[in-house]
Amino acid sequence: MVESYAVIFVLGGLIALAIIGMSVFFIVKACRRAKQIGMDKKLIKDSVRSSAVFSIVPSIPIVVGIGILMQSLGIAIPWIRLTVIGALQYELIAMDQAKAALVGTEASYETFIATATVLMTLSILSGPVFNAIFYKKYQGKLASLQEKNGKLMNTVTGALLGGLLAGMLSSILVGGIFTVGNPTTDASGAVSYGEVTLITLAASLVIMGLCGVILKVFKQKWIESYALPITILGSLGIAYAFIAAGLF
Amino acid sequence: MKKSNATPQTRAEYNNSVHTIGRIFTWIALGLILLVPVAYCLSAKVLPDGTALLKSLPFLFGYLAIGLVEAFSYAPLLGTAGQYIGFITGNISNLKLPCAINAHTVTKVQPGTEEHEIVTTIAIAVSSIVTTLIIVIGLIPLLIFQEQIVTVLNPIAPYVIPAIFGGLTLVLLASYYKVAVIPFVACIVICVVGNLLGFGASLGQSTMVLVGMAISGISTVILYKKGKL
Repeated sequence: MVESYAVIFVLGGLIALAIIGMSVFFIVKACRRAKQIGMDKKLIKDSVRSSAVFSIVPSIPIVVGIGILMQSLGIAIPWIRLTVIGALQYELIAMDQAKAALVGTEASYETFIATATVLMTLSILSGPVFNAIFYKKYQGKLASLQEKNGKLMNTVTGALLGGLLAGMLSSILVGGIFTVGNPTTDASGAVSYGEVTLITLAASLVIMGLCGVILKVFKQKWIESYALPITILGSLGIAYAFIAAGLF
Repeated sequence: MKKSNATPQTRAEYNNSVHTIGRIFTWIALGLILLVPVAYCLSAKVLPDGTALLKSLPFLFGYLAIGLVEAFSYAPLLGTAGQYIGFITGNISNLKLPCAINAHTVTKVQPGTEEHEIVTTIAIAVSSIVTTLIIVIGLIPLLIFQEQIVTVLNPIAPYVIPAIFGGLTLVLLASYYKVAVIPFVACIVICVVGNLLGFGASLGQSTMVLVGMAISGISTVILYKKGKL
């Protein structure tokens, strides 16, 4: 196994603590503000509960991502890379880029890790640096637009959300259709079957629809907070059943 | 606490204080993140390969540009604190934003209101804590059962996004179908043409999200000016 140095673990611990500290600080600040403006406490409780439950399942692939990266980088560096901004696909591409750039040289494995880590780190800096220097000004402009024409700003914000949805869905749908009978293997080694992608998407729509029926027809209000986590778990269970049964 | 209760801040004052704290945390996080390669090089007594880094400059600039576009585009959706947390912890389109949308749906807060901003902040912060803790907890079984965990869970990893976005589409359809129709049709056409021409791999989810947001932003402003929204 690739060696992980104690100092990297210490840094990983500090980064995890900084993220938790920052998040707790903002939660406390938001709660105080909610109190100031007389916001219903139930909304806060519902936000915390629904967000905590929602985040569990989508976080598990991140742990798997560490398992994949640790084969090449040890455990400490992937832990840090996937705790902060970055995603498995990006990290794998950055790692491959470093590997490709070192082909034909006599670089040691440690030099490869150092090069890959520098590349991974530098490539994610623009977003946070933008926030630290320019975001306040940019947000001020957004706020003044909101003041001048609140309806337009709300419409544009809705449009960005609609665009995110449109982009994501089209990529999933078309990607799924074009890989039916023609599975692809991504950089992490995971095989993606178009049939399973489409079945998972359809299952997710149907399960969410059923949750809606349970909520509206059977008046089971509790399901509202858990509808999306139930949908994610249910459709992933169906995907797993198809893969485990070896149908594709 | 008592003082803030006696003299409630205006929304602008509250926002300014969030910026101040967000900037401080961002610089701290950036410092720690930048220390990682330095600490590795010092520990392993090696230097990164300069020539390899130079060869990787086009790749690096590409990623930096994507990061900037994301920072611009996600800002109206993440809220002030959410933007600072999201751009340190990542996984915005596949985790933080869906989590915030889920919280909005559960609490039924109206977009543009301060309640909406507060719920977004709480959702993204809670999500970041949960993910960070799950990762830390996951390290222990990973050290012992790395191969088994990857073997069992990696096959379903490609299906997490369809599992999230199928349900989310149904939730958001009623509110956003008017603004989402044009970008959806345009994105489908782009994806189909891209796949037929053989560069479908370049039109992954992260690329199409930005393309969809750009088309949606432009088409919505045009529709709005024509009075059709």
